[in-house]
Amino acid sequence: MSGHTDERTGETDPVDLLLESARDEAVESSFHVTGVMMQYYEVCERELWFESRNIEIDRENPNVVRGTHVDETAYDEQRRNLSIDGRIAPDLLDDGRVVEVKPSSTLVEPARLQLLYYLWYLDRVVGVEKEGVLAHPTERKRESVELTDETEQQVEDAIRGIYDVIRSETPPPATEKPFCESCAYYDFCWSC
Amino acid sequence: MNDNYHIFSDGRVERHNDTVRLVTEDDEKKYLPIENAEALYLHGQIDFNTRVISFLDDHGVAMHVFGWNDYYSGSIMPERGQTSGQTVVEQVRAYDDEAHRGNIAREIVAGSIHNMRANVTYYDNRDYDLGATLESLDRRRDEIKSVASVEEAMGVEASARRAYYAIFDQILPDGFVFGGRKYNPPNNKVNSLISFGNSLVYANIVSAIRATALDPTISYLHEPGERRYSLALDLADLFKPVLTDRVVFRLVNRGQLSDDDFDSEMNACLLTESGRETFSKEFEQTLDRTIDHPRLNRKVSYQYLLRVEAYKLKKHLLTGEAYESFERWW
Repeated sequence: MSGHTDERTGETDPVDLLLESARDEAVESSFHVTGVMMQYYEVCERELWFESRNIEIDRENPNVVRGTHVDETAYDEQRRNLSIDGRIAPDLLDDGRVVEVKPSSTLVEPARLQLLYYLWYLDRVVGVEKEGVLAHPTERKRESVELTDETEQQVEDAIRGIYDVIRSETPPPATEKPFCESCAYYDFCWSC
Repeated sequence: MNDNYHIFSDGRVERHNDTVRLVTEDDEKKYLPIENAEALYLHGQIDFNTRVISFLDDHGVAMHVFGWNDYYSGSIMPERGQTSGQTVVEQVRAYDDEAHRGNIAREIVAGSIHNMRANVTYYDNRDYDLGATLESLDRRRDEIKSVASVEEAMGVEASARRAYYAIFDQILPDGFVFGGRKYNPPNNKVNSLISFGNSLVYANIVSAIRATALDPTISYLHEPGERRYSLALDLADLFKPVLTDRVVFRLVNRGQLSDDDFDSEMNACLLTESGRETFSKEFEQTLDRTIDHPRLNRKVSYQYLLRVEAYKLKKHLLTGEAYESFERWW
């Protein structure tokens, strides 16, 4: 199966590139998209570029520590971690829904996109339809997330966007965002 | 996470329950609260065992060891320190590219001249006429922009530092004759203070570099040394005027050091235990001072500026964004 090609550049569409290598292990591709890359793409493309280059900063950052702690402890009893092809690692609830746990609802869109990507991947690569649930244990809130024509489009646009960001030789310039100050890369971006 | 503990007495550091304690030779026990510690500095003859090293490792605390003459002899760094192959590759690439290496080297020299100049300006505004030195430093600062080789950049740095050190005898009170920089060993009180101060700057920068996955042996201004962390030497040049020299001036001008704080033998002059204690106390207070950082929009300690400098260099190497060396802005 050959993918669609981009009319402007003649290159394979990143979505097809990703699907081909995910479906057939004989197809080698260095282009992988993880759940956290989806989040970073939505939050900050510069952070995504850093992540793609393994530029890790300040693991002792309190926000990083807090997020990890919530992730490791929330719904511990009913959650099963599922790793697929070493590419995505969604968590499954006992009732079969895919759950994404977030420490707070301030950055809800990135978490939603990550969850949508898992649902999309499960549907397109593994061939199972799943429902998703976005959970904020500290606020005792849950909302359900589904794959629709519109959200599928959102996921595929993000895959193309991620491809462009990580293929670039240089990171996107730093731009001040409201949540910059709580980012583990803050000092790295703004120390100048 | 930025308290440093200095241990001057001889004895033993050991893990005791959930703390580290120092047991001195006369069996006095001191506890070191480790939660907020950045590093332990061992200046005396200290015994320790693997248990205490694992404990420090768990808490991410480094241990720097100094030899008999205050020279830095090595570090025991937490295993959790970052490593990144990509960072090292980019460091080496920049070193290997003459133009790139030259740019970084020139930027470091420009920054250190600026920081020396800041000290001269301070005293020029306080009853000393140091206009000629300021002019001389300005000329070096112009000169550095156009040097072709790293060797020449080193030369400009050395002559700037000579011009700068030449004012020390004017600024320092009677009884503290400097007469130019001598080390290996230091030949007088002022040189022994500068040597000790610079070795503290150096060790603090080793810690800062190790927090960033940069390889401390790959440097740009200094030649990568076989036995030294030459990247720490590069970055130390920027901070010596702000840290070492200011502490020396402060202690000496306030008369906080007496003859008992120095030990002179043959042609060498070294600080005694009490001298080192006085010095490092003032040095630590200086590291803890804070300053408004215009870009980070918050107060940062002088010590954190060292970490920031390592971040800046790492960012430059990995993203290609310009590196502007630390220049005192206050």
